[in-house]
Amino acid sequence: MKFEWFVASRYLLSRRKQSFISIISVISIVGVSLGVATVILVIAVLDGVEHGLRDRFLANEAHVAVSKFDRGFFDNYKDRIDAIQKVDGVTSASPVVYTQSAIFQKGSQRIEDVIYIKGIDPEVEDTVTGFSKFVEGSIAFQDQKIIDQASFLNDESVTGGIVLGSRLARNLTLHQGDILRLVVNLQEDPHSPGAYLPRIRNFVVIGFYESELAVYDSRMAFIHLDTAQKIYEEEGSINVILVRLDDPEQAPTIGDKLIDVASFTPIDMPITTTWLDTHAPLFAALELEKMATVIIEALIILVAAFNIASTLIMTVMEKTRDVGTLRTLGASRGNIMYIFMIQGCVIGMLGTLLGTALGLGVCKLLSTNVIRPSPLIAFATIGLLILLQISITLKLILSRMKLKKIVMLVFWIVGITFVLYCLVQPISLEELGLSEIYQMNQLPIKINWFFVGFINLLSFSICWLATIYPAFQASNMRPIEALQYE
Amino acid sequence: MDKLIRVENLEKSFFDGDSELQVLKGVDLEVNKAEILAIMGASGAGKSTLLHLIGTLDRPTSGKIYYEDEDITTYSERELTQFRNTSVGFVFQFHQLLPEFNALENVIMGKLISNRKSGYAGGQKLNRNEMNDRAENLLESVGLSERLSHFPSQLSGGERQRVAIARALMNQPKVILADEPTGNIDDITSEVVFEVLLKVNEELDQTIIIVTHDSRLSNQTNRTVNLVEGKIKY
Ligand SMILES: Nc1ncnc2c1ncn2[C@@H]1O[C@H](COP(=O)(O)OP(=O)(O)OP(=O)(O)O)[C@@H](O)[C@H]1O
Ligand SMILES: [Mg+2]
Repeated sequence: MKFEWFVASRYLLSRRKQSFISIISVISIVGVSLGVATVILVIAVLDGVEHGLRDRFLANEAHVAVSKFDRGFFDNYKDRIDAIQKVDGVTSASPVVYTQSAIFQKGSQRIEDVIYIKGIDPEVEDTVTGFSKFVEGSIAFQDQKIIDQASFLNDESVTGGIVLGSRLARNLTLHQGDILRLVVNLQEDPHSPGAYLPRIRNFVVIGFYESELAVYDSRMAFIHLDTAQKIYEEEGSINVILVRLDDPEQAPTIGDKLIDVASFTPIDMPITTTWLDTHAPLFAALELEKMATVIIEALIILVAAFNIASTLIMTVMEKTRDVGTLRTLGASRGNIMYIFMIQGCVIGMLGTLLGTALGLGVCKLLSTNVIRPSPLIAFATIGLLILLQISITLKLILSRMKLKKIVMLVFWIVGITFVLYCLVQPISLEELGLSEIYQMNQLPIKINWFFVGFINLLSFSICWLATIYPAFQASNMRPIEALQYE
Repeated sequence: MDKLIRVENLEKSFFDGDSELQVLKGVDLEVNKAEILAIMGASGAGKSTLLHLIGTLDRPTSGKIYYEDEDITTYSERELTQFRNTSVGFVFQFHQLLPEFNALENVIMGKLISNRKSGYAGGQKLNRNEMNDRAENLLESVGLSERLSHFPSQLSGGERQRVAIARALMNQPKVILADEPTGNIDDITSEVVFEVLLKVNEELDQTIIIVTHDSRLSNQTNRTVNLVEGKIKY
């Protein structure tokens, strides 16, 4: 290969008569770089979102929920939970009464919202979802002193304490000690048959639940399991068993076993729901987005590869006589093919590596919180670089310097790196008002090294494929015709 | 005297669609070792065509070409490429130097190609320094010791042709084929270039076949043949 590299590298580096060709080479390199850089960046963001969500889901959700198909109540739950807890891979299990309620505020007759109510045993629940970690305030749901005090201050009967999702509380401007009314169910009016009255219970706000997951923080409230059983008149029954596993990825396999273990019968129509099922649409959407991104970026790289191909075709035409000469000197068709493939592959490789560096660099900047220089400095740097480049191009300065191209290249790379450093900062989703949608405050970045490797390979392969036709064309020229080519 | 090349009843036709253009109509030619032979003939007589066939750049329609009793017309593409590298040196009317490489690099190019292939028979393996030494000597012997790192664009027409001669000599070929090497330069410069070829022939016993229109030049060769109507006329 030594001889081919000798010729190819000279062709790549030498100043050409047609400087047009080297401009196209630069465009090819930039094209490949941008394709590779953006795909690395976008996938890092999507992976970041996915992992951020998974982590949060896993932090405050059970991995498996066992219930009847219609969320109906069932009894004998202590035995069932004991049985589940004995299963291999199960960390713990907790009884839950899971319902929905319309809520009212004191002094208002308007339904404020319909929220999920989780009746839990705080101590057991902690072993499954780490409940108390996310609560600010108290979790003493049944503290009689608090209940009595709230009852006295508000001059109403109070059933128990309630922990509200933090966003929900904020939206309703509810504070600790305030009263919230829950519509528990409807009851036939004893005085006029056929008419129904809502059964309402008052709760005192004792704490706030802050999981950083908007779905929970804005739609969830917690009361004590005993209270829940009492108000729904389902003493001794629950409707959901929550299970934590040693390995959350095992949820689908272990989940299936739990139905039998908990001695449900088919008549109960029992189901298990894993945390993966719960969020399947979200994960599927993210997966689809990733696929779309890869396809689009592959197209960008493909366009860049066409650039490489056309650069090479022009180089081959320009070098036709050289090809003839090399053939008279005894270069084989394979030698000629290599010479041109090397050129295209070097361009592809440079573009790919540059793009990888750029993509990873921007990812790093997007996830590093430090105070950056003012953007003004960045703009000044760009201005200075352009000024320098123009004056060199117009031969106003340094016209005699030999290495000025390389020096300028280094200047540009350092300059652009600095400008990126000034301008690229972690993106606050909160400021953009997107934190509710994405359920996180800062644009998350997670680099998947396997994918970076894959995209490098893909990009390089596409570039390599692009070189085959022009290189073959060059190798296929008959020596005499190439020699006589004008 | 030892024969180097023997051409027997060589025919070459070019086909353009249905029409056939018969350029060589049975050429018989013998070339002695260490001789310098001139081929003359009218324009279009087929001199270049004959030289290309002898130099394995093209294949004859029929006939044989022997190098030291070895028939090269039966060679495969691969063998021909190898043969060209080790056994033939070309000098063309237009110098055909590679513009991106300096004089020295142009001269060693043929050696660089074969050096990697251990299978190239007759090619002796040299390291880069040995190659450079040999190329420097060759450039010196054609009078260009001061021009080693000049690029073709920085050389005069005569100097370029002399680099081309040095390049042709690099792999110590059996024969140098020169197709109107002075066709594109003025008379005085031609004389210089031709002197170099004569000197190479004299000092290295290098066999040379030279195609020329210039009878002043052909008069100085060992022997001259004429190509007329596709045949050699002695
Ligand atoms: N590749 C080709 N295809 C068709 N015809 C060709 C080809 N090469 C040469 N010819 C024809 O063959 C004939 C001989 O050409 P050649 O170049 O050998 O002549 P020549 O003797 O070298 O002439 P000159 O002195 O002008 O160089 C010419 O008529 C030319 O048109
Ligand atoms: Mg000719």
